[in-house]
Amino acid sequence: MSVQDTLRRLPLIGRLDPSAYVVYVGFLLILAVFAVVLRDDGFLTASNLLNIVQQTAPVTIMAIGMVYVLTAGEIDLSVGSVVAVSALTAAVVMREHHWVLGVAAGLGAGAVIGLINGALVAYGRLPSFLVTLATMGLLAGIARWMTNLQSVPVTDATFTGLFGSGSLFGVPSLVIWTVLAVAIGHYVYRETRFGAHVLATGDNPRAARAAGIKVDRLRLKVLVLGSMCAALAGLLYLGRIQGARYTLGETDLLTVIAAVIVGGTRLNGGTGTVVGALVGSLLMGMLNNGLILMGLAVSEQMIVRGLIILAAVALTLREPQR
Amino acid sequence: MLRMTAASLAVAAMLVAPASALDATKGPHGEAATPAASVTLTPEQEARVKEGKFTAALSWHTTSDWSGAVGQGARDEFARLGIEVVGETDAGFDAARQKSDIETLLAKKPSVIVSLPVDPETAPEAYRPALAAGTKLMFVDNAPKGFVHGTDYIAISSADLSQMGTKAGQALAEKLGRKGNVGYIFHDADFYVTNQRDRAFKATIESFPDMKIVAEQGLADPARAEDIGNAFLAQNPNLDAIYVTWAEPAELVLAALRNAGNKNTKIVTLDLSEPLALDMVRDGNVAAIVADEAYAIGTTAARAAALGLLGEQVPPFLAVDAIAVTRDDVKEGWNRSLHRDPPASLGVE
Repeated sequence: MSVQDTLRRLPLIGRLDPSAYVVYVGFLLILAVFAVVLRDDGFLTASNLLNIVQQTAPVTIMAIGMVYVLTAGEIDLSVGSVVAVSALTAAVVMREHHWVLGVAAGLGAGAVIGLINGALVAYGRLPSFLVTLATMGLLAGIARWMTNLQSVPVTDATFTGLFGSGSLFGVPSLVIWTVLAVAIGHYVYRETRFGAHVLATGDNPRAARAAGIKVDRLRLKVLVLGSMCAALAGLLYLGRIQGARYTLGETDLLTVIAAVIVGGTRLNGGTGTVVGALVGSLLMGMLNNGLILMGLAVSEQMIVRGLIILAAVALTLREPQR
Repeated sequence: MLRMTAASLAVAAMLVAPASALDATKGPHGEAATPAASVTLTPEQEARVKEGKFTAALSWHTTSDWSGAVGQGARDEFARLGIEVVGETDAGFDAARQKSDIETLLAKKPSVIVSLPVDPETAPEAYRPALAAGTKLMFVDNAPKGFVHGTDYIAISSADLSQMGTKAGQALAEKLGRKGNVGYIFHDADFYVTNQRDRAFKATIESFPDMKIVAEQGLADPARAEDIGNAFLAQNPNLDAIYVTWAEPAELVLAALRNAGNKNTKIVTLDLSEPLALDMVRDGNVAAIVADEAYAIGTTAARAAALGLLGEQVPPFLAVDAIAVTRDDVKEGWNRSLHRDPPASLGVE
C-alpha cells in the first residue's frame, strides 16, 4: 500500500487537497503564537480554551450545514436571520408550553424556511444567492416584527441546561453539541450515499444528473439541512444567553462563510470538509479571543483579524496557475 | 452680539422647559438621577486606589465616535488613578457576542469591567460569570435586568437622555419661532437610549401649541434614512424641519435635502458629526445638534468604578449634562462633549 493510499484511508485527511492541510498548520501556528505571547494573560488556561469552543459552537454548527450547501454548489445567505427567527419562535412557544414543543417549533421554523429556499432554488430555478439574499432580509423583518423588537427570556432550566448553559460529567453542553454535530456531519459527508451525491452534484451537476442523482431534490435537501443547522444554532444561543432577541446571529453569516472557506471548502462547489470547517470556526474564535487578550483596541483587533484571515485564505485557496 | 443671542436663547429654553431635566430623567429602573459631577474621590481615596494595583476592562455594545469618547474618558481617568486597562471589546450590537466578550476579558482577571449592555433582558447571563469571578461591574447607560445596585454593580453612568431629546426639541422650536410642521424619524428598535431621547423630543414638540409632527417613520436600518427623508419631502413639501434619531442617518437625510435642492427644511439630531456641523456652520439645513458629555460619562464611570473598588457606595444613576450645539458654539460643544477641538474643516478654531 502506497503512502497516498494510506493517507486516503485516514478518515480526516482522505480526499483533501494538500493545500487544505494549511488550515491545520495555520491553526497550530496561531495557537502557538498566542500561547507564547499571551502566556501571562490567561490564554492557555483550560477555562479560556473551553470558552473558545463554547463561544464558537453555534458558528461551528452553522458552518457544518454551510459545508453541505457550498459543496452542492449553492450558498445560503439567510442562515443568520434563521438563527433569530428560530430562537424567537422557540422562546415564544416556551412561554406557554413544554420546552420540547419549543425546540420542535424552533427546528420546524428552520425546516420550513429551508423548504421555501430549497423549493425556489430547485424547482423555481432561481439562483440560491439571490433567493437567500431575499429571504435573509425577509426573515430579519419577521424577527423584528414577531415580538415587536422585545427580547423574550427563557427560564426553563432543563432547556437552558441542555442547550448551552449546562454540562454533563463536567463537559459543557455546547462542547458536546459541537462534538456530536461534527461527528455526524463528517460521517454523513464522507461515508453515506447522500454525502457522495452532494459532492458529485457540486462537482458537475450534469454528470450527476446523468448518473441518476436527483439533483433538484438534493439541492432542496441541502438547503433544508443548512437552515436546520442554523435553527439549531439559534436554540444554542437561546440556551446560552437564556433569551432570544432579533439581533441574534445577525453578524454570523460572514464568520460562518470565512470559517468554511478557510477550512478548505470551495466556494463554488465540489470539494469540502466538515473537520476543516470546525478548525476554521475554532480559528475564528481563537483570533477573537487572543486579540482581545492582547489588549488591542477594537480597531486594531479588526485590522489584525482581517489580515490573518486574508493570509489564511491566500494559503488555502490559491488556485493553480491558469 | 452672538453671545447675546446665545444667552437669550438659553434663557428662553429654560423658560419653556417643563421642569429641570434632571428631575425628568430617570434611570432604567426608575432611579433618581444624581449629577455626575458630584462623584469625586478624596486625595486619601485616590492614594488607596493607586496602592490597590487594580485593573479594568471595557466592553462596548458597538464602536462609534461616541463610544470612543466615553472609552477615552474612562482610559484617561483610570490612568490618572493608576488603574491599568487590560482589554477592550466591541459586541457589534450582538448580545451573544457580548457574553463571549465578557468571558474572554475575565481570562485577564480584571478588578472591574466597565460596560454598556447590548440587551438588558438577556444581559444577566452575560455578566453572571463576572460576578462569580469577583470582578466588579460598572455600567454605562443601562444595567442587566434584575441586577441590584450596590451588590451586583457599582452604578450606571449615563447621559441625561430625556434632557437630550428635550433640548433638541427646544433648540428646534427656537430656530423655527415656535411654530411649524416637523417630520420625526425615530429609532425603531428596543434600545432604551434612543427610545428615551426620541420620546422626549416628541413630547417637547407636542408641548408647543403651534408645532405639529406631521410625518413620522421608524428607522431600523440607518442606511435607509435617505429614502425616508425623500418620502417625507414628497408627501409634505412644506416640511419645516426633520428630527433624526442620531447623526449617521441624519447625514443621509441631509443628502436627500441637498439632492432635492431644499434649503428651507431644517434638521435637528443627536450626537456630533463633522459633516452635519460643517453644514450648520455654513448656515445650511442643520439647525442644531444635541450632544451629551460623552467624555464625562467615561471619566464618571472610571471614578465611580474606583470608589466601588474601595467598597464605597455610589448613587445608582449618574447623569451628565446634555448640550445643544448651534453654529455659534461649535467649538465649545466639541470640547465639552468629546474633549477635543472640532475638526479643522469647520473653521471655528
